[in-house]
Amino acid sequence: MSSVSMPQVAGNGLEPGFRGVICASFGAAGDTAEQQSDSQPKLDLHFEAATPQTLSELRSVLGSSSVGVRLFLSGPTADIRAAAAVAAECGLHQEEMTLLSEEAAPRAIYCPHCHSTTPTFQPAGSEVPCQGCGTALVTTDHFSRRMGAYLGYAARVEEAS
Amino acid sequence: MTVAALPISPHPAVDGGLQLEVTNVSPQTDSIVSITLADPSFRKLPSYVPGSHLVVQYGEEGVNAYSLTGSGNAPSEYAISVLRVEDGAGGSRAMHRLAVGDRVYVSRPRSAFAPASTATHHLLVAAGIGITPVLSHARAAAERGTTSSLIYVYRPGSGAHVDEARELLGSALTECSNRDSFQEVLTEQLTKQGVGTHLYVCGPNAFMDSVLDQARAAGWAEARLHSEAFGAAELDEGEPFTVNLVRSGLTLDVPAGVSLLETLEKAGKTIPNMCRKGICGECVLPVLRGTPQHRDLYLTEQEKAGNTTMMCCVSRSEDPEMELDL
Ligand code: FES
Ligand SMILES: [Zn+2]
Repeated sequence: MSSVSMPQVAGNGLEPGFRGVICASFGAAGDTAEQQSDSQPKLDLHFEAATPQTLSELRSVLGSSSVGVRLFLSGPTADIRAAAAVAAECGLHQEEMTLLSEEAAPRAIYCPHCHSTTPTFQPAGSEVPCQGCGTALVTTDHFSRRMGAYLGYAARVEEAS
Repeated sequence: MTVAALPISPHPAVDGGLQLEVTNVSPQTDSIVSITLADPSFRKLPSYVPGSHLVVQYGEEGVNAYSLTGSGNAPSEYAISVLRVEDGAGGSRAMHRLAVGDRVYVSRPRSAFAPASTATHHLLVAAGIGITPVLSHARAAAERGTTSSLIYVYRPGSGAHVDEARELLGSALTECSNRDSFQEVLTEQLTKQGVGTHLYVCGPNAFMDSVLDQARAAGWAEARLHSEAFGAAELDEGEPFTVNLVRSGLTLDVPAGVSLLETLEKAGKTIPNMCRKGICGECVLPVLRGTPQHRDLYLTEQEKAGNTTMMCCVSRSEDPEMELDL
């Protein structure tokens, strides 16, 4: 059988023949640590975006892992689709991959001005108009348990006054 | 005229197939013989997918399925290997009586154990006569430039195609002569395959179940697992189950050792059938609910995975109960 050579992947600390869970996140996505894998070894990878460089890094990580490995991809849809295609080329099956698209579920943004919430697919830091009062809200990463939504703040003070 | 000579008319299960002539008979072991078939007028034979089988008629009444051992690419002959089963229906004994020059009716090759096109490596596992379809896979992989490795379990002195396997696979062949050494090799191999590897297993049912279960436990996804049953001679009697016939409002118990087909016939149902061993495809039934335990050679892997049809002559139920559209 063909031997598997360990590619030099800087800093991913991957053992050849890795059969645990690989969590790769792209962009501003939070890490996928909430994927419970207490029983299995886990490898976290974070990439800014799906570029030829980062995808080839993913390719070499998969190339040195073994059947049994599971892949979680999170981030913007375009990036994780590209990563999933690379994983499929490496021989991973659909049922071995979980795609957590950021855009899959909108985030609720809480408006401090009118107290309504606005669903959005935009990542933190972008502007969305409030559904309640029309104020331009800047979305944040701060989830308020009390409000059950991410906090937004008025992009321009005069609108909120 | 011997039993092996061409019967008057082809069995329906091989209808639309080919009339071939035996061109070579060579014993592999005490109980396994390799038989080569070719067109009497030297016409080329249809190509086949690796792991395919041929339905061969014996006598006026019988048909049996045998794995083709070649790669399937533009074959000038078809080669099968037949294990003599002393207490079988007689098919294997009739096959062992074939001589060069005899004519037989055969089906066109049928694929029910195909290699995955996306596989980057094939891990082949065979026990005993289960080597035959797996040898076809190894040959096809070599021709296509894909790698394969083989774990082959056989009793010392009774292994068929050992020399060919050695030549074909070199160090990628692991031969095992007992359960313990096999277990060790299997455990190791299941945990060190690159992510593009698919597993193919052929052997007795209990052997295949054990290999597949261990692969699943090692994290192998179902899509990577492929298996090929031997055919009726090896089938165990199975678990009892209950079947609900939705349209006729009947509920029937299928005891262990009795087929669903027999149970339905006893209840007065007329189900078309010919081979009664999972080969011909006549006895297909639509499944409404439940998961069939597919034991036939007829349905493709995809059809089996769909669980909407089953061959009632050999297949049973994975669950205690199932519903049929009857
Ligand atoms: S009767 Fe031939 S497959 Fe069932
Ligand atoms: Zn508002």
